[in-house]
Amino acid sequence: MAALCAATAIIAVVVPLAAGLSLLGTVPMGLLAYRHRLRVLIAAAIAGGTIAFLVAGMGGFMTVIDCAYIGGLTGVVKRRGRGAPTVFAWSVVLGAAFGVAGVAALLVASRLRHLIFESVAANVNGLATVLGSVPGFAPAAQMLREVFTTLLRYWPVLIISSSVFSIAMVTLIGWWALSRVLARLLGVPDVHKLDSTPDTAPVVPVPATFRDVRFRYPGADRDALGPVTLTVEPGEHLAVTGANGSGKTTLMLLLSGREPTAGTVERPGAVGLGRFGGTAVVMQHPESQVLGTRVVDDVVWGLPPGTTTDVDRLLAEVGLDGLGERDTGGLSGGELQRLAVAAALAREPALLIADEVTSMVDQNGRDALIEVLSGLSDRRQMSLVHITHYNDEAASADRTINLTGNADNVEMVATAPAPVANVAPLHHAGDPLLELRGVSHEYGSGTPWASTALRDIDFVVHEGDGVLIHGLNGSGKSTLAWIMAGLLEPTAGSCLLDGRPVSEQVGAIAISFQAARLQLMRGRVDLELAAAAGFDYHNHRRVEHALATVGLDPALGLRRIDQLSGGQMRRVVLAGLLARSPRAIILDEPMAGLDAASRRGLLRLLEDLRRNTGLTVVVISHDFSGLEELCPRTLNLHEGSFAPTPTTAGGAA
Amino acid sequence: MTSAPNKPRRPVVLLRPVPGDSVIHRLWAGTKLLVVAGIGLLLTFYPGWVPIALVGALVLMTAWLAGVPRGALPSVPRWLWFVVLFTGILSVFSGGSPHLTLFGVTPGFGGVLSYLRVLALAIVLLGLSALVSWTTNVADVAPAISKLGRPLKLIRVPVDEWAVAIALALRAFPMLIDEFRVLFAARRLRPRNPAITRRERHRRWSAEVIDLLAAAITVALRRADEMGDAITARGGAGQLSALPSRPKWADAAAFAVLLAVCGVSLYVELATPLATSS
Repeated sequence: MAALCAATAIIAVVVPLAAGLSLLGTVPMGLLAYRHRLRVLIAAAIAGGTIAFLVAGMGGFMTVIDCAYIGGLTGVVKRRGRGAPTVFAWSVVLGAAFGVAGVAALLVASRLRHLIFESVAANVNGLATVLGSVPGFAPAAQMLREVFTTLLRYWPVLIISSSVFSIAMVTLIGWWALSRVLARLLGVPDVHKLDSTPDTAPVVPVPATFRDVRFRYPGADRDALGPVTLTVEPGEHLAVTGANGSGKTTLMLLLSGREPTAGTVERPGAVGLGRFGGTAVVMQHPESQVLGTRVVDDVVWGLPPGTTTDVDRLLAEVGLDGLGERDTGGLSGGELQRLAVAAALAREPALLIADEVTSMVDQNGRDALIEVLSGLSDRRQMSLVHITHYNDEAASADRTINLTGNADNVEMVATAPAPVANVAPLHHAGDPLLELRGVSHEYGSGTPWASTALRDIDFVVHEGDGVLIHGLNGSGKSTLAWIMAGLLEPTAGSCLLDGRPVSEQVGAIAISFQAARLQLMRGRVDLELAAAAGFDYHNHRRVEHALATVGLDPALGLRRIDQLSGGQMRRVVLAGLLARSPRAIILDEPMAGLDAASRRGLLRLLEDLRRNTGLTVVVISHDFSGLEELCPRTLNLHEGSFAPTPTTAGGAA
Repeated sequence: MTSAPNKPRRPVVLLRPVPGDSVIHRLWAGTKLLVVAGIGLLLTFYPGWVPIALVGALVLMTAWLAGVPRGALPSVPRWLWFVVLFTGILSVFSGGSPHLTLFGVTPGFGGVLSYLRVLALAIVLLGLSALVSWTTNVADVAPAISKLGRPLKLIRVPVDEWAVAIALALRAFPMLIDEFRVLFAARRLRPRNPAITRRERHRRWSAEVIDLLAAAITVALRRADEMGDAITARGGAGQLSALPSRPKWADAAAFAVLLAVCGVSLYVELATPLATSS
């Protein structure tokens, strides 16, 4: 949260045009004060202030502190359930206090005060002199001089009153925005899952025996899991499979210490989540698993102070030897997950739970990660529970448990072999639509941090084409997608749509980003579609039509965005984009994080759209499975340029 | 039909040290923070020409030692140059002593001198904090703050909590920036309703602001929840850094330089006719 606030502050300082945004830095801070104790707000203010200082110097630091001061006021008043008059009264009081503090600081730093006043006086007097020499403006100039002299004489009054005024203004704006945002956020589900259970018993998590265990989330009307009877033996590699919604993640929660709603879980001792010899969990999102900014720091992150760890040995065990000094920001998804495994191993766990760790990782990363995981239970005295929806991953386990009762739900994703690039010109039925000529892109040009993302990309997308641009992490494929959508101007070359640079026609080419949630801005599906496609949301026919295009039930129109599943979110994004009849659509990793059934459904939908409406589709992905039909043409991107052969060296099973 | 080759503007690169390994890069992060704090105090109380010049020399010297190339400086937007020049010219007209006779006219330079001093002060302070972020690996900041803040623990200030918050915020910051980039890009892709009246424009603007804020906060909250789970899975917060970092001899030298700068400045400002800050 502090990072969010600092981000707003930075944008306010760095992008001078957006100076108004610093007003809104109060909103996240207000939210923090609304939800948590003052202590959290202070910690956030310090952390945000430090980042802002590193980025923008003292000015950034002060902006964040101001945001925290005002945001804290609005948040606390909101939490106490008071209204706008209370917040206004307090803002006057706190504004005066701030002003008095400012006056005191200037009194102490008297030399700086004199210097600043002299400099301002020089500007005002200079302006008055220039103004005075213009015929007819002499009285105005005289008045300016006099007013300024009076203000300067009573400077403490000036500072206190301006502080009261500005703080009251910012508070009222922040109050308004906070109220609106809070109303929006009420429906945001808590995705927070794990809870640490204080337990003084000795830590022995396995063997764990489940007898007729059921689990139901508070407020839900059916069981998320169960009844389940199973045993996790010490030292075994157990795979758990099942579709989304079959309760795989719930099983992880129970194994890591949640109490079931019915049935019994027996263990010889405490679960010991994150403790030595206890239970360790690695979860789905690679970026959120890794907590340190440097690889070695992440391995020891959170260990009790004073413990010494053989970091190099752990990194070697997961195949990351030699990367210790690297920045975690530059690691690929697969490397991040292996690092999370190393951090888990630093606790020498008796039970390691891997919960869909490969679903956001590319093919190479997946292979390396599976290799590391399957070797673990042989080398160490450790049980491994591997929860997955890929069938080839389950194959390396000693034993597999399928969580789904009904048979038509168990179909799993088969990982496909990488196709060889085929640039068959036969497919080009339509006219050229999007032309890329000698496109290169470099980030941070002219700075010591310059890095080349793309080199001399030449290709043409024809009308009605289906193109797969395949590449691994860091191959520049996302940069290419942004350039093709016109969101980024290439540093060299051109990307033309109808002979004009596409960056002048943003919106003509639709793009769906990997993180669908970021593309959904309104709170409800119909509002979202209306805003995305530019029609009135009272127009039910268009809402229904847009939902029908992507195979969604029209009743979904009234659903809140945050109650949608991952697959539904992606379809709503598509509906919004397609309702504007774009010339082409770019899909960045459309299959990431979807289970087998949602993948198949989405693919069939896209194939139908392409066949029936002649939609031009460009898919950017590190995955091949099932895409041959949708994208007959494949281009392999490797380190910023097109390569003739696939870059997955001996990869897929 | 290639676009005209215009000179690329250098962007601001955030929180990434200039590649290299110099004496300055190897200094303890706490030393750098203390030096910046010390110089900040000095210039707040004695903003004279001599202290500013000394600190300016220190900044240039450090930049040279750290091997910071000119390209690290972001491009200054043209309007900022214009504002600086315009206010500078205005302050020339205000006159004030000292007066110099040039070509028969006697303009006063007092105004422009104090304006230039404020400008130099701001540039020197910005340069100083920029040097910290150009030469410090962000991973070193949180451990340094936890070590520096240790005395504060005696008065029950939760320094460790702050250090953890800083470490996590620094880790989350680049991820959130990326997510905000996507968020703004998604915003650009959307059509804008034609708004004719001022009231409509205002309403559209406020709706967009709330949309963006709510989306950004939702994203940040989700990220925070996931990181919270990862922390719980590791049994709570504890160690931050695998490599112990503490001040070394180079840090002592840095403090000696700081003391020298402060000492000379104070002597000049308090006891010699060169004083310009009173």
